[in-house]
Amino acid sequence: MDGVARRFRDPREALTAGLVLIPQELRLVPALSVAENVMLGHLPSRRRLGLRVVNRRALQEQAGVLLARLGFRGDPDVRVDSLPHAERQLVVIARALSRRARVLILDEPTAALEAREVRRLFDTIASLKRDGVGIIYISHRLEEVLELADRCTVLRDGRVVAALERAAFDLTGLVHHMTGRDVEATSADPRRPGGAPLLTGEGVSLATGEVVAIAGLLGSGTDRVLRRLFGAAGAITVQRGDRRRALRGPGDGVDAGLGFVSADRAQGLVQGASVRDNILLAALDRAGRGPGGLWWSRAAADAIVCALMDALDIRPRDPDRAVRELSGGNQQKLLFARWLAAEVAVLLLDEPTHGIDVKAKAQIQRLIREFAERGGGVVFASTDFSEVLSTGDAVLAMRQGAIVARLPTSGLTERHLRATLQG
Amino acid sequence: MSIDAKAAMQAPPRLRRISVTGQLPIVTLLALAGITSLLTDRFLSPINLANLLVQSSIMSVIAMGMTFVIVAGGFDLSVGSVAALSGCVAALVMLKTTIAGGVAAGIAAGALIGLANGLVITALRVNPFITTLGTMVLVRGVVFLLTGGQAISGTFGLPDPFVRFGAERVLGVHALVWVPAILLSVLSVVLNLTPYGRKIFATGGNREAAYLSGIRVNVIVTSAYVWCGVLAGVAGVMLAARLQSGQPTAGEFYELTAIAAVVLGGAGLHGGEGQLYKSVIGVFIMVVLGNALNLLNVDSYWQRVAIGGVIIAAAAVGGIRQR
Repeated sequence: MDGVARRFRDPREALTAGLVLIPQELRLVPALSVAENVMLGHLPSRRRLGLRVVNRRALQEQAGVLLARLGFRGDPDVRVDSLPHAERQLVVIARALSRRARVLILDEPTAALEAREVRRLFDTIASLKRDGVGIIYISHRLEEVLELADRCTVLRDGRVVAALERAAFDLTGLVHHMTGRDVEATSADPRRPGGAPLLTGEGVSLATGEVVAIAGLLGSGTDRVLRRLFGAAGAITVQRGDRRRALRGPGDGVDAGLGFVSADRAQGLVQGASVRDNILLAALDRAGRGPGGLWWSRAAADAIVCALMDALDIRPRDPDRAVRELSGGNQQKLLFARWLAAEVAVLLLDEPTHGIDVKAKAQIQRLIREFAERGGGVVFASTDFSEVLSTGDAVLAMRQGAIVARLPTSGLTERHLRATLQG
Repeated sequence: MSIDAKAAMQAPPRLRRISVTGQLPIVTLLALAGITSLLTDRFLSPINLANLLVQSSIMSVIAMGMTFVIVAGGFDLSVGSVAALSGCVAALVMLKTTIAGGVAAGIAAGALIGLANGLVITALRVNPFITTLGTMVLVRGVVFLLTGGQAISGTFGLPDPFVRFGAERVLGVHALVWVPAILLSVLSVVLNLTPYGRKIFATGGNREAAYLSGIRVNVIVTSAYVWCGVLAGVAGVMLAARLQSGQPTAGEFYELTAIAAVVLGGAGLHGGEGQLYKSVIGVFIMVVLGNALNLLNVDSYWQRVAIGGVIIAAAAVGGIRQR
């Protein structure tokens, strides 16, 4: 740092040197106020009766100045857990500034932001840059890299494969470095008309062989629809094929041939358990043998697991490895494999390609199409509109918790979709 | 996929799995036994070894039940009280009916408390620590109400065959030792080799992931508490046979010893990890340590200090290993 090699033994030393990491999971104390969170660790204090007490006025002022600099227009006295995600992110950045940060590391900061909020974040980044703060910006979204970066380092499989100046990189070049080869853009295949009805409920209707996308801005409730359809958000009745099914919980959902993948990968994975156990999590009874499937058969389990690891190209090909050692893309493919192992007919996927690399993203999108072509059906929610248009047959537009339109994707443009979503 | 390809795929992990750190409990036990046998020759005498097995038998049964609950991501403080309840219920019923009736009633009482624990924790979503702290005190109260605070042994003592079970040998080994030996082999199969057992591991490892995979997590967790209650009940009946009576004060602090044994066995308290045989090794470590300190004439106050230190040291080693 500053031209000197520094060795940090712990985060505290890095903080003191002015280096601050802002992870995707924002580390805030939910029950404290916005101002307290901004000044956490060095709350201004004064002496009263020989005791050091928090100086609330100074706290308000100091936090207020920092927040105003970032364009935060809220009450610094409310509890921080009452704020939406984008505002909390500003609180975390304000805290970094309160520590006189000179280098900010932002890890996928736009992952949970909607377009307007991304704009504001970019403005904030530009103003921090003008003030002399260095920014390390980690992102899978290449258009962001192209817009923001003065210099770009590309990593693949944990290794640096390229370090480029602004003039030297463009979209295809970055994709090439990230994947090690040229990836052809996912083509819009000719869509076949849908077959027999597969699943109906919550305003969603899905036919055999169909992929339906749910598009909405953040907070529009797309994830809620998927969870409800799966039975994971209260009891519900759906039309599944030619039968009505009452779903009281995910157990009933799986019995009805539904599989759900949450947007938060950590929620779906048993991190300490093996790849084998994780793939079979929804199909443990299928690996049973003997009367009533009572015995768990390692051979039966491995037959299922190995075939799926091959088919989905899950790396490394080692069913004994702990899931936490896999990359995000491979973890996402594993969650996909889990429902193939359970032989479900309908997949409900929330942000299926969120936060994974370009290559794995293309693989997942292809798997979604293939799953439908083999007689299944997929409903997926996504805030990535190019994915919605390239992978879906039809798109359900959601606004404020309600489905406002069902549009065929052929002939639909991103601009039109965005306009529908914003109302 | 061909058989060869599959075999090739599995070969390296198999090697990797036999790691020294995973076998820390057994290494600890052997080291402890080795050092003790060097310091005193009485340690390896047949009488002392047989005595160690008997001393470990009842606690092993309780620790196995605790392992079910801890693997499922829970916790049970009520096992000591449940053991006392089961022992007293078994004695009371036995004096009125048959031995089999008494044993069944004692174990059923344990199962019932386990079921109650499980239902309160899953259906009412009360923290397991608080729930079982409550049942620990509540059940102890019930035991005193039931017995009037007196030991239950009838006018002429408990039936003779039952008392003999607590003292005699079968095939050269103390009858009480056969109980954990048989339970360990059967329950290890249940926990490791059935889909049901894998669901317990999955639920303890990440409850949300198990839930979203369609596993009925409330049923799984409740069943783990029932196992724990049943095994505490079995231990209580064994204790009654050994004490030749139902003792209302029996089993105090058993819950702490059992939890310590499971932790010494390397399970950790966060769920999704643990093995029954390792918990039994944990029990042996506790018993051998106590025995060694006795044989070396260490003051009993200092024994407590030493055992407490060992528990913390074992947990610390486990913590370092995880990093």
